[in-house]
Amino acid sequence: MLSSFFILADSGDILIEKHWRGLMNRSICEYFWDQVSQSKQNGSSIPPIISTPKYYLINIQKQHIYLLGVCQSEVSPLLVVDFLQRIYETFEEYFGRTITSVTIKENFVHVYQLLDEMTDNGFPFTTELNFLKEMIKPPGVLSNVISSVTGTSNITDILPNGSLGAIQWRKTGIKYTQNKIFFDIIEEIDCILDSNGYIVSSEINGEILCHCNLSGMPDLTMTFNNPRMLDDVSFHPCVRYSRWENDRVLSFIPPDGNFKLLTYRVKGINQFPIYVKPQISYSEGSSSMGRVNVTIGAKGYNVQNKLSIEDVVATIPFSKTTSSTNLTANIGSFGMDEQTKILKWNIGKIPKEKTPFLNGSVSLIAGSMTPESTPSIMLQFKIPQYAISGLTIDSLACSERYKPFKGVKCTTKAGKFQVRS
Amino acid sequence: MSDSKYFQTTKKGEIHELKEELLSQREDKKKEAVKKVIAAMTVGKDVSMLFTHVLNCMQTHNLELKKLVYLYVMNYAKNHPDRAILAVNTFQKDASDPNPLIRALAVRTMGCIRVDNITEHLCEPLRHALKDQDPYVRKTAAVCVAKLYDVNPELVENQGFLNILNDLLGDSNPMVVANAVASLTEIDEVSKKEVFRIHSGNLNKLLAALNECTEWGQVFILNSLCKYTPRDSQEAENVCERVAPRLQHANSAVVLSAVKVLMKYMNSINNNDVIRLFCKKMAPPLVTLLSKEPEIQFLGLRNINLIVQKRPEILQYEMKVFFCKYNDPIYVKMEKLEIMIMLANEKNIEEVLLEFKEYATEIDVEFVRKAVRAIGRCAIKIDRASERCIQVLLDLIQTKVNYVVQEAIIVIKDIFRKYPNKYEGIIATLCANLESLDEPEAKASMIWIIGEYAERIDNAHELLNSFLEGFKDENSQVQLQLLTSIVKLFLKRPKDAQQMVQTVLNLSTQESDNPDLRDRGFVYWRLLSTDFEAAKAVVLSEKPLITDTTSHLDESLLNELILNISTLASVYHKPPETFVTKLKGLNKRGLRNKEEEDEDEPDYVDDDNMNNQQQGGQQQQQQQYQQQQQGGYQQQQQPKSGNLIDLDLSDLGGALPNTNNNNMYSPQQQQQQQFNGNPNDISFLGGGGGVEVQAPVNKVVVFGGDRSQAIQISGAFTRFQGRINLEMNLLNTSQQAMSKFKIQFYQNSFGISPADQILSCGAIEVGQSTDVTIPISCNGQISNPLNPVIDMAMMVLPSQERFYFKMNFPLLCLLTETGRLDRESYLSMWKSIPESNERSVEIQVRLPHVDVDSILRRLNSKNIFEIVRKKAPNQEISFLSCKTESSVYVLVELAFNISTNTCRCSSKTTSPDIMPLFEHNLNLLINNQI
Repeated sequence: MLSSFFILADSGDILIEKHWRGLMNRSICEYFWDQVSQSKQNGSSIPPIISTPKYYLINIQKQHIYLLGVCQSEVSPLLVVDFLQRIYETFEEYFGRTITSVTIKENFVHVYQLLDEMTDNGFPFTTELNFLKEMIKPPGVLSNVISSVTGTSNITDILPNGSLGAIQWRKTGIKYTQNKIFFDIIEEIDCILDSNGYIVSSEINGEILCHCNLSGMPDLTMTFNNPRMLDDVSFHPCVRYSRWENDRVLSFIPPDGNFKLLTYRVKGINQFPIYVKPQISYSEGSSSMGRVNVTIGAKGYNVQNKLSIEDVVATIPFSKTTSSTNLTANIGSFGMDEQTKILKWNIGKIPKEKTPFLNGSVSLIAGSMTPESTPSIMLQFKIPQYAISGLTIDSLACSERYKPFKGVKCTTKAGKFQVRS
Repeated sequence: MSDSKYFQTTKKGEIHELKEELLSQREDKKKEAVKKVIAAMTVGKDVSMLFTHVLNCMQTHNLELKKLVYLYVMNYAKNHPDRAILAVNTFQKDASDPNPLIRALAVRTMGCIRVDNITEHLCEPLRHALKDQDPYVRKTAAVCVAKLYDVNPELVENQGFLNILNDLLGDSNPMVVANAVASLTEIDEVSKKEVFRIHSGNLNKLLAALNECTEWGQVFILNSLCKYTPRDSQEAENVCERVAPRLQHANSAVVLSAVKVLMKYMNSINNNDVIRLFCKKMAPPLVTLLSKEPEIQFLGLRNINLIVQKRPEILQYEMKVFFCKYNDPIYVKMEKLEIMIMLANEKNIEEVLLEFKEYATEIDVEFVRKAVRAIGRCAIKIDRASERCIQVLLDLIQTKVNYVVQEAIIVIKDIFRKYPNKYEGIIATLCANLESLDEPEAKASMIWIIGEYAERIDNAHELLNSFLEGFKDENSQVQLQLLTSIVKLFLKRPKDAQQMVQTVLNLSTQESDNPDLRDRGFVYWRLLSTDFEAAKAVVLSEKPLITDTTSHLDESLLNELILNISTLASVYHKPPETFVTKLKGLNKRGLRNKEEEDEDEPDYVDDDNMNNQQQGGQQQQQQQYQQQQQGGYQQQQQPKSGNLIDLDLSDLGGALPNTNNNNMYSPQQQQQQQFNGNPNDISFLGGGGGVEVQAPVNKVVVFGGDRSQAIQISGAFTRFQGRINLEMNLLNTSQQAMSKFKIQFYQNSFGISPADQILSCGAIEVGQSTDVTIPISCNGQISNPLNPVIDMAMMVLPSQERFYFKMNFPLLCLLTETGRLDRESYLSMWKSIPESNERSVEIQVRLPHVDVDSILRRLNSKNIFEIVRKKAPNQEISFLSCKTESSVYVLVELAFNISTNTCRCSSKTTSPDIMPLFEHNLNLLINNQI
């Protein structure tokens, strides 16, 4: 399994190191960093496994930091990647959404304590958030104040009960004055469209997040309107698989607090609420330039359904030989990054009466070749109160005596939404 | 208040201040101080001098403080083993604390302190902890056994911990079971014995625990299930039934491990309906892997590659999910492309080609090339699609994008090979792009096409002639191809090529340094001048068909890899042993110690090493890239007719041995492999960053030592990474510069000769010297009787001056990395060799004391491998095996007598001639004189 674990800042500095099999020379990180810089130069991304004569370096790259696991013998790399991912998610849960080198430094004691609890001898063990939070209190203004005033520590000195039983994700004796449970259905559209709007490939990746404040040991049963359309589902460990297999019913004792109940995938959706008409073409000749005409709009049936498409952003990576742009947009603002030549067009909400368009021309650096391909457009957007797959929760029954307050919220988002032009 | 303040203590006297604080009576003060110490440790400052002071804070009831101290102790005990012993008392006390958290913490920390004299004290607390009433302590203790085994395996075995661990497989708590499995698996990997066996007795216990333990525990258990082979179809079905729900887990490692178990157990199921059912269940979770993070996608794709090869039906309808997104990382795109080719069939080819065409206009050159090549591979794979593929390729050639055109021509050449006399109509279009070709492979491909279809291309002679003008500056690949193509043209249209063939034969045989080219030139020359018709029959003979086997693994390797899904082996598509040997080794402990000593040196890497490494890496990357460029079409079994001449096909990417890992992004891979064969290589000891370096070579002056001659030669034979080299240093002591050198070996007892007689070094100015490495091959004539001395001659070409000298060839260089036998083969071989071949000699050990471990380590580094060792009072008997380049095994039994400082060496081999020399070398090696 893992021999060592490092957290590196995006400058290459080592922030945290942890060793399970004797001390590992720090220089392994230098080697790793060389590889990172090399691939940065080539404009490619660093492969998840790097093999050196002696070690395997398995890494994940996050926005501001790198997590690096060093292994010496045969391991399951997926396990390591998954685990590194989980470590990062735990940090997010503890220290807030963006983890930078400063975050790590500010919380290094917590980081070490968490790592100690999550791993032993390089094996991943307890990553259940609820259990971790019982063992190690997350930092926060309040807990800091309390600990500095009363001198109590942020580490519990009793073992949380139930932590090792069959239901590891929930402790006993939870009490709320108001029992409530909320579900968030979030669906992401991953698709490739060609310039005519024809769907080359598409799938919907959905997840149901749950926020649960229920007393006692509630045993919940949830049904969907059309469970058979889910192509693949993966569950939180609390879900009883056999019930799903036999009756297509979700039966589970929920963890306390926030958790991801299930993720699913739906195939065969071929109607999207939004359309993109990209017309980008380069003219041959000495004064080479490109004509750009991109229209993005909501499809008719949205209006009937009163859907609103929000936070629309189109990203167009123009050719590196682009020198300047002469574009106008009727809605929203746009700007091109001078270095990467990536144009971002922030449209915001698509209005009912107007259709957003971006047109004009881009000129190429004099003497450069006409690009052989026109750029693909990446689209981001969000549609609140809408699940594109049509999935809805039919009912939710609770075994406890109280009647919990229930709520469901849907959102559809663009995942990897790509339009070829 | 955040913890970052702890990093801001850079002022003088900081250590002193910390000491004061650590001595404080107040726990919160102490806590702050320990935090500062750890912060200093985190940024790499040396705070080891505070060891005892921190240690003093250990005796506290404040758990947070205790944890911090333990953290510190874990990292620093290594440097202060003598002082770490001070902590033992507290550890032992804590190990019987009423609070299970503290008991577990103590056991865990003690296990992490990798110091021998602590391990002895660990045994008792560990034994108690393994039987603790609290599962939290038991599960911690289970892992601790593996830690202890890593430091001191004998101790663990002697104390019977392995049995206790096996008992824990039946523990009532699933997490304890999972940890015991994890621990046993790891021990089993490094141990020579089988310590972890799944049998029908514990199988059910594991399956029961599977449902209830954490996701990581599930992975451990699932992986261990693969060790078991079901007794019958029914049992296999039952296990699959119980494992299948794991496919629905959110954790992708669990999913892939479950897939592995199903793939394995499905082999034992007879009922095809049941198999189909499980296959159907596997598809959706595999597809879901592709919607996760790119890192997971990549690892998933590498495994899906195997699964598709084994059971293509699983994903046959899922082509679309492998379509590449514009912003997928390159390593993901490449893998997707590979799988798209595998899944392509007559029904979906239209769709697939459209995609490939789209990719061929993307920005990333490497990806574009691969996409173009993919089109060609589809054409070769699917007969009925070839026409469409050609059409797409022609469309791409119209784009006039340089590298697209070149790549297209390379694949079209292969399509011509597969479908002769079908698509020649497009030759004209190809010829129109002659000028834009600047890559050797593309040029060579084009030249091949012209030569092959010379009779249909009216101006073939003009075209070839235009290439001939720059013959000398061309890459050897192009030269070879041009030679062959002109000969073909001559055979087909003698009148047009009379002049040309003369020119090219002259150029090849007289003005080229390249032996391949010269040899081929001579062969053609002789053939043409002897019998024109025979030449025709040979050169223009029918070519064997090619098939696309680029992505296909050898059946047995594939089956083995399927059993190792989700491991490194499955990611690299290499045999699992490659990865195990990395740690497994007889002298593991000894090495570990040595390594740690090295690590005590300052924490930086020798810059030179690092650079070497990188250069090496780049070279290999290039090599690999070239391999990739070679396409990897395998020729079908060549008929043994006189087809040798047309070997040019192999230059053109015909019969390149398929390595199957063309697409991996691992520059070190090759190094890796060589390295693994040689686990105890000196590089293991290198302190820096896993860099492999050759040991310094002590060259001996073999000629002109008194500088009375025109040249001084020193040299030494080495064996490094499985290759024998002669490392030479040439010093020019004459009055003029020397340029070309040629070396010759006279017939010798080892059959060794230089792989290339011409040395690959430039000119040497007066008074200058140069190092040159001469690769040695050992399949020459062998002369008897055995004599380790080799007569050699060095010729300096311009002056034709020859220098004669002798060198001793060390027998040990002949021993290969693959000489390790397993026990059974050793025994059977020993028995099969006649008694008369057995020899026995006494070797006096002239070392201060007999350290069998280090002696065997030395032997191991020279590829004499220990198979097993027996210990008797005052005596240690080791059985070893080794193998020479000529596949002669030598089996040795060394009996070390500690009290008399002697070692009795008994040996058996099929070729007893070499034994005196072998024993002599062994003697030197044992006494550390080599």
